[in-house]
Amino acid sequence: MTIDQRPASDALHRAVLYSALDCIVTIDGDGCIVEWNPAAERTFGWTYEEVAGKAMVDVIVPEHLRGSHREGFARYLRGGEPRILDRRVEVEAVRRDGTIFPVELAITRIVVEGPILLTGHIRDITERKQAEAELRSSRARLVETADAARRRLERDLHDGAQQRLIALGLDLQVVRSTIAKDPAAAGGLLETAISDLGEAIAELRELARGIHPAILTERGLAPALAALARRSPIPASFEIVADERPPPAVEASAYFVVSEALTNAAKYSQATCVEVAVLRSGDTLVVAVTDDGVGGADPRTGSGLGGLTDRVAALGGTLVVRSPHGGGTRVEAVIPCGS
Amino acid sequence: MPTRVLIVDDHARFRRSARRLLELEGYEVVGEAGDGDAAIAAVAELQPDVVLLDVNLPDTTGFDVAGRLRGTGVRVVLTSDRDASEIAPFAADAGACGFVPKGELSGARLALVLT
Repeated sequence: MTIDQRPASDALHRAVLYSALDCIVTIDGDGCIVEWNPAAERTFGWTYEEVAGKAMVDVIVPEHLRGSHREGFARYLRGGEPRILDRRVEVEAVRRDGTIFPVELAITRIVVEGPILLTGHIRDITERKQAEAELRSSRARLVETADAARRRLERDLHDGAQQRLIALGLDLQVVRSTIAKDPAAAGGLLETAISDLGEAIAELRELARGIHPAILTERGLAPALAALARRSPIPASFEIVADERPPPAVEASAYFVVSEALTNAAKYSQATCVEVAVLRSGDTLVVAVTDDGVGGADPRTGSGLGGLTDRVAALGGTLVVRSPHGGGTRVEAVIPCGS
Repeated sequence: MPTRVLIVDDHARFRRSARRLLELEGYEVVGEAGDGDAAIAAVAELQPDVVLLDVNLPDTTGFDVAGRLRGTGVRVVLTSDRDASEIAPFAADAGACGFVPKGELSGARLALVLT
């Protein structure tokens, strides 16, 4: 059965045209609008009556593109090779109010008896473009956050344990030279050296935990978060409801969300208590850290929570910070765990 | 006359240990500075023979300070906790007479660089 033989009425075709979500705009050989469906009316802000018979290029093509559009159309009518026919292209269009926006455009020639007719199927891709741009910048921020973390780690190692160990080495040289003739002084230096060594070990342990806590790898989220809660300077209550371990990337993100939220609470919130709650519900892990402090936290300032927002988003989740002035702060991450 | 040394490093812990070691080994540590500007001022004031100069300073680099000290007559020995291969090749260009890794600092090592 060919398409002409299918039992469809004009009314049906019209209904299809009218109910289409994409704009359908048909022009004749003069480039004038002969069809303009309701989606086109909604998208461009012009009614069919307002645009019927008008040059399409003057209605929906932005001014800076009109010259090249006219040239291309004229070339096609002279028998030139069509450049954008029968394929999807991304171009700019203009609305009634003058705003220019991105569209996906597919132009096909309607094969009917009589004069030439071309139909454009036009889809507003503003939201898709915005989502793509946000994805690109989110990826870039993730890379920047990782680089910044490595720089911070290098600086912490350099300024902390490395300096202590270097000074310790110099002190031990002094001990070696003095121990025979001044054992008391050498003994004093050794005491300092032992103390410095202990501090260097503690710093290294803290840094290692910041990179990735061993307890999280070995024992899972509950013991790791319990350890975080125990170290919190603000009294922290802790509850976790999860029957099985989430994937490692989810566990790590949940851990660092809690760690960052507790660190921020200790630094800025003036809270008297903080609650950590983790709930595995189906394929989703919900992590919430709530304090009773002064509020006013802004995740856009400072890279800590901002970086975690991107990290959680990379796993398909969301991180929301609610922190009204005087109303405490609640950091909540919802992370899909996959199947 | 002992060699008079100025120690320039932003870590007080290193300055203290380096001072103790160099003094034990016959040097006279005439002063300490924690950044580049303080180092330039201390050289003008204290007229040391040698500046033991950390490459990583909070306000500038040891290379920069060494360049600014060119022509003053003071001898500059760069030091750093970074790998020698990252620093030593550039020490002469900066006007320093050598490089001693921080972890290998000793009176003998300093004397070797200064000869």
